[in-house]
Amino acid sequence: MTPAPDALCRHCLLPVGRRGFTRAVNGEGCQFCCYGCCIAHQVKSGSGDASEAAWFLVRLGVGSFLSMNIMLFSLLVYSGAFTGADRRVLPTIHLLLWGLATPAVLILGEPFLRETWSQARRGRLTSSALIVLGSGAAYAYSTLAVVQGGGHLYFDTASMVLMLFTLGRYLEAAGRARASRDLAPLLAAESELATVIEAGQEHRRPVREVRAGMLIRVKPGERIPVDGLIVEGRSHTDDAVITGESRQIAKAVGASVLAGSINLDGPLLIRSSGAGGESRWAQICRSVRDALRQSSRTQRIADRLVGAFVPIVLALAAITLAFWVQRLPFDQAMLTALSVLVVACPCAVGLAAPMAHSLGIGQLARHGCLVRSPGALEALAGARLIAFDKTGTLTLGRPQLVDLASDGVGEEEVLARLAGLERHSEHGLARAIALAASARALNPIAAEDVQILPGRGLRGLVHGEAVAAGSAALMDELGWPLPPALFERAELMAASGHSVVFVGWSENAGAGRARAALSFDDTPLPEARATIDALRGLGLRVTLLSGDHAGAAARVAATVGTDDWQAGLLPEAKRLALDQHRERHGAVAMVGDGLNDGPGLAWADVGIAVGSATDLARETADLVLPADGLWLLPWVVGRARAVRSTILANLAWAFGYNLVALTCAVLGLLQPILAAAVMAGSSLLVVLNSLRLERLPGPCHPSAPESAPGPTQGQSRALAWLEAES
Amino acid sequence: MSYYALLFIAGFAGSFHCIGMCGGFACGLGADPRGASATAVRHVLYNTGRLSTYCFLGAVAGALGQVICTSLATGSPRATPLLSASLDVGQRALAVMAGLLMIIMALRFFGLRGWNRVRSGFGGSTLVVSLRSLLGRRGFAAPLAFGVVNGFLPCPLVYAMVAQAASTSEVLSGCITMAAFGLGTFPAMLAMGGVGRLLAPSWRQRGVRLAGSFILALGLVTLSRGVMPMMPGHGLHHLWHFT
Repeated sequence: MTPAPDALCRHCLLPVGRRGFTRAVNGEGCQFCCYGCCIAHQVKSGSGDASEAAWFLVRLGVGSFLSMNIMLFSLLVYSGAFTGADRRVLPTIHLLLWGLATPAVLILGEPFLRETWSQARRGRLTSSALIVLGSGAAYAYSTLAVVQGGGHLYFDTASMVLMLFTLGRYLEAAGRARASRDLAPLLAAESELATVIEAGQEHRRPVREVRAGMLIRVKPGERIPVDGLIVEGRSHTDDAVITGESRQIAKAVGASVLAGSINLDGPLLIRSSGAGGESRWAQICRSVRDALRQSSRTQRIADRLVGAFVPIVLALAAITLAFWVQRLPFDQAMLTALSVLVVACPCAVGLAAPMAHSLGIGQLARHGCLVRSPGALEALAGARLIAFDKTGTLTLGRPQLVDLASDGVGEEEVLARLAGLERHSEHGLARAIALAASARALNPIAAEDVQILPGRGLRGLVHGEAVAAGSAALMDELGWPLPPALFERAELMAASGHSVVFVGWSENAGAGRARAALSFDDTPLPEARATIDALRGLGLRVTLLSGDHAGAAARVAATVGTDDWQAGLLPEAKRLALDQHRERHGAVAMVGDGLNDGPGLAWADVGIAVGSATDLARETADLVLPADGLWLLPWVVGRARAVRSTILANLAWAFGYNLVALTCAVLGLLQPILAAAVMAGSSLLVVLNSLRLERLPGPCHPSAPESAPGPTQGQSRALAWLEAES
Repeated sequence: MSYYALLFIAGFAGSFHCIGMCGGFACGLGADPRGASATAVRHVLYNTGRLSTYCFLGAVAGALGQVICTSLATGSPRATPLLSASLDVGQRALAVMAGLLMIIMALRFFGLRGWNRVRSGFGGSTLVVSLRSLLGRRGFAAPLAFGVVNGFLPCPLVYAMVAQAASTSEVLSGCITMAAFGLGTFPAMLAMGGVGRLLAPSWRQRGVRLAGSFILALGLVTLSRGVMPMMPGHGLHHLWHFT
């Protein structure tokens, strides 16, 4: 039985790929990507003496015991301990070696043989075929030699090769599982059970079966499975998975809790406010799973090379044998060919990218940053320029109404109509208008048929009359005149760097005209400056692409310190601007809030959404930062670069190592046991090199929000240090 | 022979150190429900597994030492007059390295930390997880497998002895070095399996100090073997006969 190639391995959470197989663990069918993961998973999750895990270890342990003794006696034979007077014990030693090697080969070789066989039936050759062939040949030859009573024995080769590869796979699997440790809480949303209270009884149910209104009990230390309100109990929660910030938040009856956060210290009874499968946690889970299933371009190239590798190696081994057999005794020629087989296992190449990816994705996810494809990390690492959207990204996104100039109509009417219209928008200005209207206790006048015109504004109907709000360009487009007095006031507002919105409507079915101009002020985010400085410190060019007018863009650009800025860009113009930047500077990343700049985010090489409020499934950005997570960006870029350089180092290492080792083996310079050790070591080095990513520091909030221009660098460092300590 | 006796004693003294960690395992392995003899077999198998790992490590270390020495000796085939001299160089280098390593390990026994990171690596934790799942298992294969894995557990005592085995630069001596050491740990470990934690911590502390002194002495002698001027016809274990 073979699982679909895009299923995820139960142990390491990487796609199982073509080598995948299914094995029952604790009575449950689990899918694994490799034999190593299968062992490691059973060791980890097995409980009691009935577990198959212990049996695997027994197998490995007894196999090692036998192989080590074989190795010991073989070393003694090689080093000449049984020469001279001790010569007569040699046949006994040979028989002893044979007796030790037979069970060793059977015990250790069985899984490799099974894998080879099941793949061969589907017409595929995998690297385990090389191992089986290599150790099988060594064993068969040596057995023949024992029967004939002469010649060299290579039982040590046969058993040690198997043992080293088993050990290598086990350690590799342990490393991979460690790499995916960060991902486990995210992927748990799909498999987690919730304690649902129905008719006074507790039932354990999968989270996806939870519906709105159900009562859920959450014990301390458990993850809260659904979004909801606390009905009973008080506790602290840690929402790091969702918000990116690990902080204890006190929660009492009536407070809302987020699915995925950890209930720290008190039992809670929660009334679910939505279906279990629709919480943000579940969405994140699906998104991460999708990301893990994809492979980046680098990985696809590596996989194709590996696929072509095995037949080539078999051919190479045959050629090596044919060549050396004419110059050396048969057993030595065979040994050389064995080295070629064993040293060429391309396991390390296959491991190079997925582990680094899952480590990178997992660590970002732990801080609330979602990566939607492994390729996005590599693209971000290669980006030379980062373009920012202004509103809601570099600014607070909470503009305030500062001025209102009207032409022949009352302020209240303007606001009431505008509030009705903007109710249909999620734009930052809409909230400002709603706030201003409610501050004056105005009732919004309901608008119908509202159309959002990206980058320009919006229009609709009030009592059958057209109403529009937006830029001067929109008024122009509609053919609505701008009274000169209003235009002048608007110019003044814009010159002081505020965003200006014109409002107009038609009356008595006539042509409309602009009737008021409103100006809004949006303060830059306190951490924007530090973030952009940090990005520039990373060698990136930073630019601002704003749909707003020049005055506002220039003011924000100057405050946060971008390299340059472009204003008044419609979505189409943003795409053009991105194209120009791409030509001039190379790969481009675009940062936006994911609401108004969807096309721009999709058009850039990497689209980054900050605090996206939209449904994750429809999100166009490749990377999603948590709300208020702009400060994480430099860290994310650094992390992406670390992942990419790790992958490149892994690939360079794996290929270089394979090439050198293969050359040595073909030339007969490498013993098969050494070759196996070299190969197992190569995979292990790739694993260890990838695990180095774990040690990189986590993100450091540049400073407390209220102290943007305030504390000195030293102070903010001390703050960061304190946070890290606590 | 006195050399191996010394190693045996070092192993015996060192096993007071083992009681802290491996003794816990021996206790955890516990008794076999089938009776005293089955329990005895269980513990003997466990210790045999451990011993075979030690012997293997010793033999490999010895072989490695041999390879280093002979490759240094035969590296330049034309320099035949220098052959004996360079054989010297290889052995001396090995002795210096092994000696230094042993001294460092011995200092750890006296409480000088700083090398603790060696233990907390990636391999260590994986091994411990593996061991845990083997402990509770019945049957005779599990204790053997348990012993084999146990033998690979990071342990300064074993590191020091492996260094010593490498400096012998001979497979057989390397193997016997480790075997002598391993057998030295047998009494205490077997006793642990049977009687549990009988020894007071103060006694264990004394044992650890004693083991440290032995290893320090071994290390110093090994080091001196590499540094002191050699007399013609000086054998590998010559010095030991003086000690």
